[in-house]
Amino acid sequence: MVSGLLAQVAVNALMLASMYILMALGFALLLSIMGVLNFAHAVIYMAGGYVCYQLAAVYGINQWLSLVLSAVIVGSFGLFLERFCYRPFFGDVNRTMVMSLALIVILESTVNILVGSYVRSVPSFAPGVMRGGGVSLSVERLVTFVIGALLMLALILFMQKTKIGQQMSAISQESIGAVLQGINIYRVSAVATVIACALAAVAGSLMGAITNLNPFMGDQMLVKAIEVVILAGIGSIGGVVGSGLILGTIDSFLPLVLSGCATDALGLGIVILILLFRPQGLFGHEA
Amino acid sequence: MATRHKYDSGAFLVKVKGKPFKSAAVPVLVILLFLLPLFVKQPYYIHVFIITLLYIIVVSSLRTIALSGQVSVGHAAFMGIGAYFSGVISKELGWMPWLTIPLGGLAAMFAAVLIGYPFTRVRAIYFSMVSLFGGIAIVNIIRVAQKWTGAIGLTGIPPLSPIDIPGVISITFLGEKVSYYYFTLLLTLVCLSALYRIERCRIGMTWKSIAQSHLVASSVGINEVGSRVLSFATGCFFAGIAGASYAHYNLVLTAPTFGFLPSIFLVMYMLVGGRDRFGGPIIGTAILVMVPEFFRSLKEFTPLILGAIMVVVVFLMPQGIAGLFDQIKARHGQDRRRKVPTHAA
Amino acid sequence: MLLETKGLTKHFGGLAAVSHLDMQVNEGEVVGLIGPNGAGKTTSFNLMSGFLRPTGGTVAFDGHDITGMKPHVIAKMGIGRTFQLASLFSDFTVLENVVASFYLYPKSGFWQAFFNTPAYREKEKYILNEAGKVLQLVGLYKVKDHLAKNLPHGHQKVLGVARALAVKPKLLLLDEPIAGMTRDEIIFFLGVLEKMRSQGITILLVEHNMEIMSLCDRIIVLNFGNKIAEGSPEEVRQNEEVIQAYFGSEHAA
Repeated sequence: MVSGLLAQVAVNALMLASMYILMALGFALLLSIMGVLNFAHAVIYMAGGYVCYQLAAVYGINQWLSLVLSAVIVGSFGLFLERFCYRPFFGDVNRTMVMSLALIVILESTVNILVGSYVRSVPSFAPGVMRGGGVSLSVERLVTFVIGALLMLALILFMQKTKIGQQMSAISQESIGAVLQGINIYRVSAVATVIACALAAVAGSLMGAITNLNPFMGDQMLVKAIEVVILAGIGSIGGVVGSGLILGTIDSFLPLVLSGCATDALGLGIVILILLFRPQGLFGHEA
Repeated sequence: MATRHKYDSGAFLVKVKGKPFKSAAVPVLVILLFLLPLFVKQPYYIHVFIITLLYIIVVSSLRTIALSGQVSVGHAAFMGIGAYFSGVISKELGWMPWLTIPLGGLAAMFAAVLIGYPFTRVRAIYFSMVSLFGGIAIVNIIRVAQKWTGAIGLTGIPPLSPIDIPGVISITFLGEKVSYYYFTLLLTLVCLSALYRIERCRIGMTWKSIAQSHLVASSVGINEVGSRVLSFATGCFFAGIAGASYAHYNLVLTAPTFGFLPSIFLVMYMLVGGRDRFGGPIIGTAILVMVPEFFRSLKEFTPLILGAIMVVVVFLMPQGIAGLFDQIKARHGQDRRRKVPTHAA
Repeated sequence: MLLETKGLTKHFGGLAAVSHLDMQVNEGEVVGLIGPNGAGKTTSFNLMSGFLRPTGGTVAFDGHDITGMKPHVIAKMGIGRTFQLASLFSDFTVLENVVASFYLYPKSGFWQAFFNTPAYREKEKYILNEAGKVLQLVGLYKVKDHLAKNLPHGHQKVLGVARALAVKPKLLLLDEPIAGMTRDEIIFFLGVLEKMRSQGITILLVEHNMEIMSLCDRIIVLNFGNKIAEGSPEEVRQNEEVIQAYFGSEHAA
């Protein structure tokens, strides 16, 4: 039935959107605060999924706990990342890029070697299907969306209410006031990195339950995150949400009409058009 | 770099950033490369050299784009455009690869101009982001096109057509790795010479001006966006040539060869080798492509070895491997900088 | 009238950095643009040289409307400028800085340059010559092979002027050219200024330093984006509003 299909696609859109947004937020934070193109985000996402799997499926820990633990573990890796991989090269575009590329290469291949071709996925968080009004929806996807949305809200609140959050916000919008207030940029970067990694880990874990885990699963998500950030524009954290929704919707609805790869072609076209007429993105301010 | 550079006004080359590489090492190296097939007989090693040379062209062209301050993280896609264009045209229309290879380069260049204009309007790291996205999108478009033909890859690409001048010379390429090797070597020398020339003349100087200060460059009349598109197009042209040559060597193409990870590797080769010197990409590519080959038995650990090399380089060699020379010179205080007088007059 | 702005306005968000500025600069003049910090001087420069688009008003140069034109086009029309900060090709030598700036005259095509044609070689030789002359004019010839970023600050600013001269400007916009210079450097620079003026270059400069103002034919005073006074240096020095703007209302001259 059409309404049933529509409902499913809508839920899918919301779910995709929230996952894209989680990834994109973290990526955008790191980009605007540290000026780093964190390619490693792809592997963080992937690591989140694998750690969660390891905890839940292998050690038998409760999935929800595993989810939280995964976020914590991978988030702490973010501390290491910021302190030893990015901070030493603050401001040096070349070296931070090499570092970020090195990370993605090393980590993806390490996982590939260790885990390789075994097909596995994270045990479902909320198995089953919800039925009502002749419509059946995957609970899993709904739950994923809800968690994503909650985290998004949490982050927004964090950046508005807490001191560190406000500092993060100030720096990411490149306000001169931030510099003048004598904000400890290293502390802010560390916090931002931890948050970004934790968000990506959650996304990886949740998606790992819906799709299969593989060492390169982060690549596509990284591309999506970048697409969202490009659409949203420079310096606009709020715009990320809007763009994520747009993209999630497109990626959910279009495959019904066109083949999967054509969606990407469309994506390229859209990005080009946006860059042509509005280089600062849909929501960004003039660079 | 703290050293003085003597501006050589006698030569017609406008010198930027250091003296031209006057070492005797280069001609010697070239001669050795020409003599290589005499020493190395195994086809597999010849193959490695061919691939390395092709990638040297691509990475050097990536650096050409980087001269104007743009690091493209989607460069492999343009190699792919050249490869597929040349492959398809020569296969379907029956044209000689000798003709379609330059056409492949032009196709890549054309694509670069098309998406280059909106892309180059964004600067620095945003350009890298956007180019990453663009590269992947291009490869996906290729995948779509392939799906339409029902194939997984492009097969049956004609090899380089034989050169047959009766009484003078007769070269076949099909099945002859050594022929391909010499072709690739010559191609590499020609392409690198062209890139070197471009960099050293006013064109390259203009690009480097933009990279250093786009404000000042604009104020002296340089069309910033136009020049950046030109730099982007030039780099992509050579990537296309290399890609097309690869197509007629490998005879089979699959889309992942020009995707996300390969593009990342290209940037890696360039940065590890050193972005500041012309020889950087050459050294970086040579080391990072050939070293794993000699540890072929540890096939899976290749990326780990690469990663390890990268980490070492990034911590110890800020200017990459090619910059090591400059680094050591500076360390030993060999800069002969005169004290600048307090008076301008 | 070489340069004229009418109602030139620039808003940043809700703030008007420059508000309905009407000003003229005539050929051969040396005009000074002064005002306290934040008065909108550099913004005006950026509006006139194409680095910012005005929110309102027009700019006309040499009879043409140049409002909103791109900076490189305006450079071609004959306006050269210096910048307050970061105004160098820092990895180039002093000479290379100037040679690189000789982009417009004479212009070389891509293929000309690539194939190193005799025409190209001639042009480059000419440029080299001219660059040397410019450097001698500003007194930097001796350090021509030094890296630009190693120069002391005062020299760097002078290099900026040398670079601006490469576009063969009819009008030179100098943004705080002597800020940070030592006494001797300033004296030397004033001499350079004189030389440029005698070559017929019109100069519009922004400065804080009152001394350089005495060299100007005319001075325009800005405050909070508005023109509040205009006239000869003596007139301006005695103007009530100007004094208030600089020293606050408690102080009378």
